[in-house]
Parts: sequence; structure tokens; C-alpha cells
Amino acid sequence: MTNGRVIETERLGKSYGRIEAVKELNLSIRPHCITAFLGLNGAGKSTTIKMLLGMIRPSSGDGTVLGQRISNPIEGVRLRTQIAYVSENKRLYDYMTVDQMIRFTRAFYSDWRPDEEQKLLRQFRLPLDRKVKSLSKGMRTKLGLLMAFARRPELLILDEPSEGLDPVGIEELLEILIARCSDGTTVFFSSHQIAEVERIADQICILHAGRLVLDSSLDDLRQSYRRINLVFPSIPAEHHFRIAGVQDVRTRGHQMSVLASSNAEGVVARAQDFHADSIDVAPVELRDIFLEKVKED
Amino acid sequence: MLWYKAWLETRSRFLLSLIGMVVLCSVFVLHGDRTVIYDVAADYYNYVFFFCHQILAMMWVLAVTLSMMGGLLRERATGSSAFTLALPVNRTRLMMVRICTGLIQAVALAIVPWMAMFSVGSIFGKTHSISQAAFYLVLLLGGGALFFGIAVLVSSLISGEYTAPVVSFGAVIVTAVALSTVRLRPYSPWGFMTGSEYLNRQTGLLTWPIPWLQTAIYILLAGLLLAISFQLIKRQEF
Repeated sequence: MTNGRVIETERLGKSYGRIEAVKELNLSIRPHCITAFLGLNGAGKSTTIKMLLGMIRPSSGDGTVLGQRISNPIEGVRLRTQIAYVSENKRLYDYMTVDQMIRFTRAFYSDWRPDEEQKLLRQFRLPLDRKVKSLSKGMRTKLGLLMAFARRPELLILDEPSEGLDPVGIEELLEILIARCSDGTTVFFSSHQIAEVERIADQICILHAGRLVLDSSLDDLRQSYRRINLVFPSIPAEHHFRIAGVQDVRTRGHQMSVLASSNAEGVVARAQDFHADSIDVAPVELRDIFLEKVKED
Repeated sequence: MLWYKAWLETRSRFLLSLIGMVVLCSVFVLHGDRTVIYDVAADYYNYVFFFCHQILAMMWVLAVTLSMMGGLLRERATGSSAFTLALPVNRTRLMMVRICTGLIQAVALAIVPWMAMFSVGSIFGKTHSISQAAFYLVLLLGGGALFFGIAVLVSSLISGEYTAPVVSFGAVIVTAVALSTVRLRPYSPWGFMTGSEYLNRQTGLLTWPIPWLQTAIYILLAGLLLAISFQLIKRQEF
């Protein structure tokens, strides 16, 4: 690991022809924590994950994962022995049975834990003799998760791991992720489910149009972000409230809503200057921050 | 375990092809004398075996082309390439195992039907020389190597489940037709593998010696196509 970071990228970029999927991405992921990687569809999350695994070559920049350079194919192979990965589409080999799929996968990893495999098989109720092609999407997801969780990797990279799971399955997944993190595994996962992310993530990274637009701990976000709802007898111009720390200002009639990443007290003071009738400062949910970060200009 | 995967992936196609070829070749050896029309005084059953080998060569190209349809590009189309590429294995090894499995199956698809033809022929009194059978096998595998290479190359360029075999068969037909003129026939891999260029029509036997140089050239050409396929897969974005 470089500087104690599990994942470290520097100006990482990936282009497909004229389309820049990922632009100058600087990621720095701490060990032994759960990092959520958020973004809209097509934001570049899966492309970034594939670059981190050495599955596709970066067009620019470079990075290290567990100290191995992602642009080096030899180091990429070594790296993949230390990482467990569940892909976005959860597609596996249709011509194998569940049992064959598990036997095939465990042969590649020395950190495979048969006891954990058995436990997860019981927990996920996977039919060993069933062909993968006849499994439902949820079952396929569970099989993919089993093959990742039956190991003891240093890093778990999961691309939308809860996709296809029912609420019970999601609950089981979140519990496993928390347990793995407390065992010392670093978890890096992408998701669209903000409520799940808020429950388990320590660190939040938001990617928008290939760029990293937010990288902060969830605790810091909760402490610093505030929504300030104001009511004025006569609404002042928005630009008076676009001060340091303010991310967004919206007005409707006599009401103004200000989203501040810091300096909420400055906004309150400004509101008092304009004789606000009502000032309400409230904590902000991750969903609001996400929507603010990914809104199109 | 990659061998295990390659076997599971191709075993249905391989076993179906093998059984079909064994049955058809055996039937042709037994009943070929009703369909083969010979115009010269020849050892009749030598001619039957030559006729059966033509059928075998056609089925072999078909079976090998179908068996080599697959690999990383096809997995990308079906969505499982992400799982394969996340394994701690490089692409060269993935490709190597697939090609070696295909080669073993291709050899089996040539030898086993010939053994069946030979055995069925011997049991029913239609004997044939072992050296002639070996000659036919060298021609089949030597000329067929080029078609094997074409199938691998096409599967490294085209991912479609139906498009890839259609293009591959198209390439086989174009090669066979383009080199079927009298001047170009000596260079035709199809004419080579069927043995028609080496048949003595008086005896119904292949004329010695075995054309090792031409065999080596076809194998080298196939090697070149495989090397291009390796490079294509290494550079491919998944």
C-alpha cells in the first residue's frame, strides 16, 4: 500500500474514442473502512472499478491498489489474487451448475474458506445442482456474493452488490459487509441505493460525468452540510446568499432554501441582515447532497 | 481449472459432433457402395473410404468451427467476461487453454471417426490400409489447421452468437471457392485436406509421399492466425 492507502489513483482517465468515461480521477481510499462509490448511470463507476482491477487499461494517469500498479498486467494478475470482486451484471457461466461454479472459482484462491462457503450456502439457500442459467437474478447475485465472501481478501470491490436482491437479501448483505469491515477487510462498493449507503458507509465518493465531485467521510458530511430554510417578508436576490460554503440557493415565493456544505452560521447571519421571518437550520440527508452534486448545470 | 471450464463450455458441442460424425462415417462405410459411383477399375472399397473422408472433412470443418466459437469476446456479449477477467489469470493463458482444448478436440474429431470407419470396415470385411488412413489424417489435420486458425481469428473479432459462425463458414467457403480453379487448386487447403489432389483414380489410393512441406505451411499459416488472435484479445477493451 502507498501512504497507507488501499486504493490511490492519480489523474486516472479512460477514453473510448472521443468519449471520456473517466477524467483525471484522484481517489484515495483508506484501509479497513467501507467506501461507497456513488454516481448516476454512466458516470464512470464501473469503468473506474475495471481499471482498478487491471481489467482495462487507463488512457491516462495511473494508480495503485494494494501497492500494485493497475497499468501493469503482471501486477494486475497478482492484485486480483488479493481482491474479491462482484461485477455489475452478476453474469456467470450459464453452462455450469452452482457447485461447478464454486469449485471452479475456489481453485484460484488460496484464501478460500470452506467453512464460510458452507455457511453462506446455507444462508443464501443456493441449490448446488442447479445450472446458473436457470437461476433468478437474485440467486445469481447471491452466488456472486458467495464466491466473494467465501474468501478472506484484503479488499472487496463490489459493483452494485444489492441489485436483484430482495429486502431480506439486502439486509444480509449489509450485515456481512459490516462484519467483514470489522474483520479488517476494506470494502469499496458502488450503489444507487442511498439508504443502504447511509447505513453502512464510512466514506463517500461521488462521481459525476467521469469526475470526482465529492470525497468525504459520512460523519463529516453529516456535521458540515446544512439545509437552511428561510422565509422573508420580501425575498432578497439569490446572489446575496451565494457566499463561501453555499452549494445551492433556491427561491419560491417568499421562501428560500439554501444548501451549505459549511458556514451555515454565515447564511443565518445574512438572513438576519435581510430580516428573515423564519430561519430553520436542519441536517441534510445524503440523498440531498447526492442530488445536488449530480445535478446538471 | 481453466481446462475444466473450457471442457464444460465446449463438451456438448464436442460430444454431439463426435457422436454424429462417428455414426455418419460408420453408416457411409457400410452403405457407401450404394452411393459411390466410380468410373474406373479400382479397388472399390478404397474409393468408398475416399468418399467417406470427403464427408468427414466437411463435418470436421463444421464441428471445429462451432467448437471454437466462444472465448472472451463471446463472454463479453453474454456478460460473463467481467467474472473471467477478474480471475487472477492473464488473457494469454485464458486464450492458450481455450486453443489447446480446441486442438485436442479437433484431433479427436479427426481420429475417432476414422477409427470408427476403420473398425466398422474391418468388421464387415471392407478392409483398408492403416498407412492410407494415417495419410488421410495428416491431410485432414494439416489442411484443417488453417480452418481452425480462421475459426479462432473470427471468434476473436466477432462476438455474435450466429454472426461469428456464419462469417467463419463464409471464410471457409470463400477460401475453397477462390482456390478451386485449375491453376490455384494445388494451393487449396480444402483440396489438400480432402485428399483429392493426391488420389490415384486407378487404385482409389492416395499417392505417396505425404506432402509434409505443404502440411507445415498450412500449420504455419494457422499459427500466424492464432498469433494475430492473441494480439487482438490482448488489446481488446472489455
